[in-house]
Amino acid sequence: MTSETIHLQKRQTFWFIVILAVMAVTVALNIMIGSVSISFSDLSHIVSAHDTASTEGFIIWNIRMPRAIAAVLGGAFLSVAGLLLQVFFRNPIVSPFILGITHGATLMVSIVMLTGLTLGFSQISPYITTLASFVGAYAVLAIVLVIATRVKNGVTLLIVGLMMGYLCHAVTSMLLAFAEKEKIKGFVLWQLGSFSGFQWNEIQLMTIIGGLLLVLVYGLGKPLNAFLLGEDYASSMGVNIRLFRILILLCACALAGMITAVAGPVAFIGLAVPHMARLCFNTSDNRILVPGCVLLGGLITSLCDFIARMVFSPVELPISAITAFFGAPIVLSLLLKRKVSI
Amino acid sequence: MNQVNSSVNQTVLQVDHLSVGYKDKTVLRELSFQVEKGGFVSLLGPNGAGKTTLLRTLSRHLSPLYGTVLVDQADLKKLTQKELAKTMSVVLTEKVTPPFFRAWDFVAMGRYPHTGFMGKLTASDEKAVMEALAMVHAENLLFRDINTLSDGERQKILIARALAQDPAIILLDEPTMHLDLKHRMEVMTILQSLCREKGITVVASLHDVDIAAKISDKVALVKDSQIIAWGEPENVLSTDSVSALYDFKGASFNRYLGSIEIRGNGAGKPVFVVAGMSSAAILYRLLSKRGFSIITGILHENDLDFFVAESIGAENYSQPPMTSITTETIQKAKKRIAACTCVIDTGFPLGDLNHGNAELFKAALEMGSPLYTLRKDDYFSQPAPASGGCVFPCNSESQLVSLLEQQL
Repeated sequence: MTSETIHLQKRQTFWFIVILAVMAVTVALNIMIGSVSISFSDLSHIVSAHDTASTEGFIIWNIRMPRAIAAVLGGAFLSVAGLLLQVFFRNPIVSPFILGITHGATLMVSIVMLTGLTLGFSQISPYITTLASFVGAYAVLAIVLVIATRVKNGVTLLIVGLMMGYLCHAVTSMLLAFAEKEKIKGFVLWQLGSFSGFQWNEIQLMTIIGGLLLVLVYGLGKPLNAFLLGEDYASSMGVNIRLFRILILLCACALAGMITAVAGPVAFIGLAVPHMARLCFNTSDNRILVPGCVLLGGLITSLCDFIARMVFSPVELPISAITAFFGAPIVLSLLLKRKVSI
Repeated sequence: MNQVNSSVNQTVLQVDHLSVGYKDKTVLRELSFQVEKGGFVSLLGPNGAGKTTLLRTLSRHLSPLYGTVLVDQADLKKLTQKELAKTMSVVLTEKVTPPFFRAWDFVAMGRYPHTGFMGKLTASDEKAVMEALAMVHAENLLFRDINTLSDGERQKILIARALAQDPAIILLDEPTMHLDLKHRMEVMTILQSLCREKGITVVASLHDVDIAAKISDKVALVKDSQIIAWGEPENVLSTDSVSALYDFKGASFNRYLGSIEIRGNGAGKPVFVVAGMSSAAILYRLLSKRGFSIITGILHENDLDFFVAESIGAENYSQPPMTSITTETIQKAKKRIAACTCVIDTGFPLGDLNHGNAELFKAALEMGSPLYTLRKDDYFSQPAPASGGCVFPCNSESQLVSLLEQQL
């Protein structure tokens, strides 16, 4: 154990604490501030008494709290998914959407929203869009996984994902061409992504499944590090490439697909946060970066959601606009300054 | 005694009737050889001959098309990934530059098959990493980011990583590629010390035949879908085998010199170099480089000059070792001098056995041929030249050759 290593560990611990603290503050702000502002004392009273009856109580328990938690979860899942894929493909510009899962989700949602195919339901409810997008995302995931077991190298797989995306996108744009005007607006808004309208049962499900996936991903830390040297070195060090390739893709797509299904495609988080985490923790060690991305992703996404809600209140901006608008320059400057790549 | 021998000659890698390649293309076929513990094996051959394909098959990155590979008596196919990782490590040509990786972190990755579920390094792992860094003389690089290392330094770190894996065998694909001479030699000496000191078996594909010849215990010449020759470099590497291996046209390998000489095209003006006693190697190369056609003599056949002359493709008049130069050879050489533009004297010591060469000087001067000499004493000034030929004393080979170029 050298002094350099100890110094690095101290720095990493420091950042973990800072990020966690700022995230707690952001989440609290997200819950307190809005069209109806609620003071901290009221908030603590409503939470401790589990008051859902009053107006404030209703707003907090049924609107703001699910949304704030969903933003944290969404940010965490997307970031970890992005990290997994960046390591797996050894490519810095890979994000969860590179494998076409968003496009799959979008295609299914477009079928439901634009063609009026309601699967037997009398009207288009949020549940149907969620279901459709879930089916779309995981259908593409299944196809990519099947192909992943056959192809030898990562780049081929990357292209497979891209092509899947283009295919889905092509069909979506055809549907758009034929769609009625008023339906298009709803669809476009969905495409921008939002963390509003989350239900508690969705959050429960996401927490349980996502939590399990995150634990699994953390357990993959050691082989993930080996993947940093490329598949050839990884296998020579004892990594079962086929198994871990499937595990990594499965975890990444499941995490990203879950969020996309409910919140729509949220851009940029999966691409940017892993880079920020690397710079922040000054390491490529995935055993640090997985929890790092969970926290940093949660923080950044709730911050972006806060900005999206607040800047032009009461008009709410799409979350993807904020993530990209603030995220892109930040990542760009970080990368240029430190000249990092993967 | 027997026990000692058996432990020394233990086979760690055995290849039987192996065919390697891809589904639709067999790259090498019918390979059979054995490598002993602590042996240094060099795979030599032209680009695209299949050296990398063979290495990738030995490291199980490719499955064999036919035949078996036994690693430490165990079938390569049947080893688990972890067992294999503990027996064999690799150094590949692929450039690996993950961000935020210090040399230490990179070498520590080599402990992968030895660490627990989360890969936490124990004190003994850390010791192994430090030892690996020390073996490659890279302790000073410990905290350097690997992206800031030079090619040579990075190669040492790659070898240290392979070493930290604590394997019985290390496979290296062109470990000296892109390296400067210093690092090339350093890497080769490191590999040699791994064999000698650690008893690790090294199999490397190399392009430097001359270095391979001097360091390897065994060489495999890979060409035309097979290993065309396998064995000790002393037996296997000859002028003919190396020329055939690389389809040399303008160069040749000499096993005594252990190096490659560039053949002159022989199209330039013919000059007769009177040489011997290992005095002419530098002059031959310079003349050949400048395009002169070299005729030389009279050399003893165990002389360095003879080997260089042969390798460089110079026409030469020679004499068996330890014999006096015969009148017959002198006559032939004299005739040849008549057809040359000048005669060069390399300033070799004259003794009983090579005194015949003095006759060549005399003949040259009598014929009126200019004589350029590197001789430092006043050998040519005492008996005044009998006829028109004149003597040009020179201090160095380069001065001599530039004088030649001016005057001829």
